[in-house]
Amino acid sequence: MEQLIEQLKSQIIEALNFEEMTPADIDSEAPLFGEGLGLDSIDALELIMLMDREYGIKLADPKAGKQIFASVRTMAEYIEANRTK
Amino acid sequence: MLDGQPIATQEAGDKMLVELYRKYAGDYPKFFKMDTLCRLGWVAAEILLKKQSVDAVILANCSASIKNDTDYLATISEGKYYPSPSLFVYTLPNIVTGEIAIRHHIQGETSFYILEKEEQLEPIVNSTLAAQPELCVMTGWCECSEANKFYAKLNIIWNN
Repeated sequence: MEQLIEQLKSQIIEALNFEEMTPADIDSEAPLFGEGLGLDSIDALELIMLMDREYGIKLADPKAGKQIFASVRTMAEYIEANRTK
Repeated sequence: MLDGQPIATQEAGDKMLVELYRKYAGDYPKFFKMDTLCRLGWVAAEILLKKQSVDAVILANCSASIKNDTDYLATISEGKYYPSPSLFVYTLPNIVTGEIAIRHHIQGETSFYILEKEEQLEPIVNSTLAAQPELCVMTGWCECSEANKFYAKLNIIWNN
């Protein structure tokens, strides 16, 4: 799980163009939206694309997104349980 | 160049825009999400608007958002269909004027024209100033046709 979290942080930095950030700057438990990384709705779409592209996960229920994208750790847990690649 | 005086830079291409951002702004992380055209217009405005505020922004170029459009197209190519939302956002050039207006709280006209030649912009701006003589307008050419190839020339003009 910790390895997946670190990999996911790197993928988020690349997908969202956080050029000044390293994986160490992202708190695994911090909220991705609002506080923490302060992501917006376009970033949310980018994360959905990332999960599809890298892990073969298609989010069928948009309401589930709030829970999945609560933090990097919750995202990694969802990926671990649902990945197809 | 600013008012005819060169601005010293160490970097070239897109990295130069990041260097200028760090030198003249540095407090707007959204800059890193922008495409090259938007970074170019935004950072040029950031430098110019330190001297004076304006009521309107009227920019133009001849290639629209072609560089970013091409990047976006690569994400929807056959066999690799992962359309990037963050690239899609910049597939219109007028987002440049929008980003500048948001940053500098400009609530007047914001327009981005696609023109063949730079001199075609002048009558458009003159028309705006004729209709609203009290306006102070930031206007100019903001062009990025491919990676690391760009040009911007911005001016602030008003009626005497």
